[in-house]
Amino acid sequence: MGDAPAPERTTARAPFAPWDRRDLPGMFDVAETARRVGNYKWAEMKLFEALGGWIATVPELDVKMRLGTHCYHHAWHAELWHKRLPELREMKPERLTQPANEAMVRFMDAMTEPEAPELTIEKLVGAYRVLIPRFIAAYTYHRNNTSEITDAPTIRSLTFILQDEIDDWRDGEMMLQSLISTEHDVERAAAHQARLEAIMVEAGGIAGPGTIGPTTVMNGGSPTTDSTTEGDA
Amino acid sequence: MASETLAAAVIGKVTVTPAEFRLVAFDAHELAALVAELAEQFGVANPIHLIVDEATPLAKLSAELDATSSDAPLTIRAESGALENMKQLTTFGRERAAESLGRMLLRARDRMRDDFADAPPDLELTLAQNAAWDAYCAGRLARRGHRVVQQRWRYNYRNRFGFTDRADEAFERLWAADDLGFAEMVAAP
Amino acid sequence: MRQFFPVEDLARDERFVQTNMAERMADTRVPGGGSQTSSKKASSRSSTNRLTPDRHDASDRARGLMHGIMVGEIQALEGAGRTAHDFDAGDGSGDTIPFALKLDMARQAWDEARHVEISAKLSAWMGTEIGEFQENTVLFEAACSNDPVLRLAGVNRALEGLAIDVFTQMKEFGDLAGDPYLEFCEDWMLADEVTHVKMGSDWLRKVTENDPERRSRALEFQQVVDKLFSFGGARGDTAESSFQLARRFRELAGFTDDEVDTIAELDEQALAERKAAVRAMNAASAAN
Repeated sequence: MGDAPAPERTTARAPFAPWDRRDLPGMFDVAETARRVGNYKWAEMKLFEALGGWIATVPELDVKMRLGTHCYHHAWHAELWHKRLPELREMKPERLTQPANEAMVRFMDAMTEPEAPELTIEKLVGAYRVLIPRFIAAYTYHRNNTSEITDAPTIRSLTFILQDEIDDWRDGEMMLQSLISTEHDVERAAAHQARLEAIMVEAGGIAGPGTIGPTTVMNGGSPTTDSTTEGDA
Repeated sequence: MASETLAAAVIGKVTVTPAEFRLVAFDAHELAALVAELAEQFGVANPIHLIVDEATPLAKLSAELDATSSDAPLTIRAESGALENMKQLTTFGRERAAESLGRMLLRARDRMRDDFADAPPDLELTLAQNAAWDAYCAGRLARRGHRVVQQRWRYNYRNRFGFTDRADEAFERLWAADDLGFAEMVAAP
Repeated sequence: MRQFFPVEDLARDERFVQTNMAERMADTRVPGGGSQTSSKKASSRSSTNRLTPDRHDASDRARGLMHGIMVGEIQALEGAGRTAHDFDAGDGSGDTIPFALKLDMARQAWDEARHVEISAKLSAWMGTEIGEFQENTVLFEAACSNDPVLRLAGVNRALEGLAIDVFTQMKEFGDLAGDPYLEFCEDWMLADEVTHVKMGSDWLRKVTENDPERRSRALEFQQVVDKLFSFGGARGDTAESSFQLARRFRELAGFTDDEVDTIAELDEQALAERKAAVRAMNAASAAN
């Protein structure tokens, strides 16, 4: 068209495009990541087993079907973590498939205790008002604090899993709201939630203390807890 | 009360055979009372003989009217499945029986009309004619306060006339109708 | 929560009424009937007991069968969920099952949940109310064994095998009747069932690889369940059977020709035994 020579095209580009703001630093090393992932897998397994077992015990047909669907979601999460562990230098995934601590074991025992058909509210409260919100918290913290470059595979799984967790939490909460219709129901739900929350607080979250990082600051601005060291159960 | 020596249970103009059931837990007198109640509701004054085949769980029904007058004997044949409680098989299901027998009584009443003179006997009706007549009867039963699941009859009609909007419109017309002749009733959609 | 869950405790809402095989077999009526009523003329329209649109009671029979499928799917959902729950992950010995098998059972629970959803929608489409027909709990009974391998044989191979036969029949019915939803949905469910049967066949082989005695116990149990699920010969290759063995889909699911032939023989036996029992009861009844 014009007389000006066309600028020479080059294929040399920066390794990170201007819009790619991912960075290297992350809060967790390989060992800590593996520990957390092992805790996640253990808790996801316990959850899918509980949901599967409860299917036969709930008379409400819609709840029965949702539990079946969600049972698979959490089994799939457990599978993703199971497959991630060898990539984190743990060649025997069972070795790290552990509860964060003894309080987590007690939590699961208490959560899976309700069995009678009239206890659907308690079953759903345990899964959807206590445990799944804890998963959402733990996974969100992990996704937002791990290295965006070195730990991309974990982030990818966390992103898929978080979507499920949030969808399942919504389903569960709506089922609960539709089941809780009297003051007595409210009291039942609240009492059971309080009992389970107390044990979960004792456990410190799904990956133990530090599951969602330090939450308070000293006068000088330093965190009062160190998630990577205190997280070791 | 039914006794082994009785061949049939009789209440007013209604006779039920057998008087005693062996394979299903039906009470012939309860059945007779139900038929009498329905006959009164639908204005069928004829003497009625209900013959139940308790040997089969199927649910085929037919009604046979000897003549078109109100004193002509009406014979209703029912396989036991048409009268049983589907949640407790072999026991009597009043709601289901009322719906089954109500359809037969309405058919009998239709047959007394001049414009049903050409209707073949029940056992010679085609599957499509049966489906159309069932829809016509079920709609009237529903309006008389009987518990009828409309979708069941819509599905039955669709199976004979096709799963089309046109068939559905024809079904709706039959369902809402009260005064059809045989030719109108069985006309293809 | 208990490790094993008895069939009597299956939770249902008040619309459902449950029955079992013994109660069903106590009903001595037979479709052909015995006395002189309308049935002869009616049944003459169809030369077999198969569910075909030319039966006078086609839509009602299809409705009843669809409800049976729905409650069967509920029990299959419960069974798969229980197997995911009842056994710890391990090497497959004792009370353990491999982790991957637990995952497969959870996946099956999702599939069965979808099947309940599908059959509930189809039931509504066909004009059937939930709980309109009684629920036979025989399917869950096969899922109750304390040995996970027997569950695989009873549920995945026998029960899900039956589902293949029933869905094939319903798919054909929907196709012939021109029902746009029935054929479509049954085809999808059939694909899942073939997967479940194959899953059962594969796991059964794998878990009992070094334990031939356990494998033969499982296959024996499967035959017992297969005969039970023949419902007195209601399923089989004969014209008297209401639904046929779906040989092609069973092959896809990993059954050998010999295995399908054995099931066909069991079906015939069940039919003969049922007929003999009915004859005996009728004779006893006539003698009284």
